[in-house]
Amino acid sequence: MLSPKDSPLGKLLRQFVTVRIIRMDTIDIGLFEHDRNNTIYFYLLNADEQIYLRYGGRDNASPDTYLNLESLTLAAAKGLELHAHRPPAPPRPKPDFPKNYSLLVERTFARNQCVECHLIGDYQNLHRQQDGTLDKITHLYRSPDLKRVGLFLDVPQGLVIKESTGAAAAAGVQPGDRIAQWEGKVVWTFADVQHRFNETPRKAREAHLTVDRGGKMVDVTIALPPQWWWSETKFRQSSVEPRFYFDDRPLSAAEKQELGLPAEGFASRVKYVSSTARTMELHGLQEDDVIAGIDGKRVDPDAHTASLYLILRKTPGDAATLEVLRGGKRIEMPLKTMQMSFRK
Amino acid sequence: MRVLLLLIGLAALAAAQDDDIVWLDNYGEALKMAKATGKPIFLEFRCEP
Repeated sequence: MLSPKDSPLGKLLRQFVTVRIIRMDTIDIGLFEHDRNNTIYFYLLNADEQIYLRYGGRDNASPDTYLNLESLTLAAAKGLELHAHRPPAPPRPKPDFPKNYSLLVERTFARNQCVECHLIGDYQNLHRQQDGTLDKITHLYRSPDLKRVGLFLDVPQGLVIKESTGAAAAAGVQPGDRIAQWEGKVVWTFADVQHRFNETPRKAREAHLTVDRGGKMVDVTIALPPQWWWSETKFRQSSVEPRFYFDDRPLSAAEKQELGLPAEGFASRVKYVSSTARTMELHGLQEDDVIAGIDGKRVDPDAHTASLYLILRKTPGDAATLEVLRGGKRIEMPLKTMQMSFRK
Repeated sequence: MRVLLLLIGLAALAAAQDDDIVWLDNYGEALKMAKATGKPIFLEFRCEP
């Protein structure tokens, strides 16, 4: 049960037609378009399929960082308010259905298996890869994290800012501000904001917000930092992302200088190596190794770590040659990548 | 006849909602019920592997 019937949320829910969908077979995924790696996601809409707001979304740390009963209650109350006043409806997105994806049909419908949400996202990417339209930065990094631009929400309060750091603080965002618009679009929930943030072209260098500051609307321009779109992809079940079974962290500017590596390069230090890498003989990396370059390259405009370079520039099954620094020695090390196999 | 059955079904569901929160599992039915009652829809997508 989502909420007891006599709770504040329960009382609000009784004013809705409530529906829970666990099979996506006939759902218009063009209209209900969101990161399919959310285990739960809500839409509040009317009988004409005008979406008032969304609720859900996630960050790197957890699928439920931004989910709680207080903010869901706020969202439900706002949904009822919007239904009473009926704001103008935006143009309806082009319809799209799971049956439009032949690979998905082969692997699920034809086998009478459930069309799971994450399968839709993965097969969409496989089709994009086949069509040559896959843009990994856009299509793999579906849930940009507000914290990367310095926006920390007071989650139970919806879009109220708890803390502002980095780019957001430099732009003048203050604790207590409530995000009201993102790129000119009205937003009511974290899911609304993340949806709009994800629509931002990956080459964009600014984000434009309007915040409600004590009843006064204030426009803010945030200078987006490099790799603002990056989010963790390890939890995602993806067939188009090469797997290599190590974790790394970017070297600091001081570390790069000490090692004579370019400041703008993607050199990184290995934090963890999975036993899978050894079992599958993918590479010989060890913890604390520094990956200084890959295939003779040390700099990439989109990558800030060696692992991100591999994800963006390699396809599953590709090989590469790593330039590894270990104990003062430089090693050329072969690396193989794998395709994730997770389907039933 | 179909319309009558639909109205009876909607009435039964509406009555059930007086006592508890009824979760439909069919989006098309939710749209029909929303049209008939004038209520908004609270739609949950849940991944249950």
